Amino acid sequence: MVETAVETEVETSIALPWNVVVHDDPVNLMSYVTMVFQRVFGYSKEKAQHHMLEVHYKGRSVVWTGARERAEFYVQQLHGHLLLATLERAE
Amino acid sequence: MAIFCWRRWKELNEMVIRRLEGNAIEFCAIEPIEINLLRQVPTVCESGENPRSEGRLFSKPADASEAQFLNDWEEYVRPELRHLFLSARNTVSEDLKTLSTGPGKLGHFVVPHAHRDAWLNVLNQARLILATKYNFTDRELSMHEQPRWFSRRDMVLQQINFYAEIQERIIDIVENE
Repeated sequence: MVETAVETEVETSIALPWNVVVHDDPVNLMSYVTMVFQRVFGYSKEKAQHHMLEVHYKGRSVVWTGARERAEFYVQQLHGHLLLATLERAE
Repeated sequence: MAIFCWRRWKELNEMVIRRLEGNAIEFCAIEPIEINLLRQVPTVCESGENPRSEGRLFSKPADASEAQFLNDWEEYVRPELRHLFLSARNTVSEDLKTLSTGPGKLGHFVVPHAHRDAWLNVLNQARLILATKYNFTDRELSMHEQPRWFSRRDMVLQQINFYAEIQERIIDIVENE
């Protein structure tokens, strides 16, 4: 019974939507961040720039929300481009 | 994020970075000081093997509540990222070996199409490592003042801006293909 409850809790946790968040840093160029968003998420230049500016002015931007596994993949991709990216549970 | 001021460096230099047929990128008319800065890129990246720089190059992908994810990341993803970064450095090092120069001659070399991403990655590594080492702020990295060349810190800031210029040019070329 206990094992089932734990498994259910884990499954529920993973099933929840997850946010991919990009945080501001003083080094990455605005043009570079925009290009990375276009490449990683396939966003249009306008959408990529919107998220880039949100990072720049607000310090962070939720750049993608969805399934946990995909979110982990995107975070890894963003780290490969040296962006400060984290995985967070969506509210 | 840094807002790079292209004109700030451009006014001082005539180095040309342009797209060739086949989407390779040619660097030409490179002054000796620029050759020196370019050749320092791999060395700067190697100097990043210390806890502070590593903390930035391999930042945490989640907060402490995601303990299992963080453990898995350390075990599986971090080695992959390290391999990616080292591989990019090796690519750039090999390209820099083809940089032709000589007494009284300006430098020249070509970055093949397949190496462009490695260059963007390694220039970013170098800039992150230098900025971490010298604790440069957002304001300093985006300031629009003329270089003073008074201190080592000012010189390093110019080095970061020089690498930013190259990144901007490569991105510009990639976007306008």
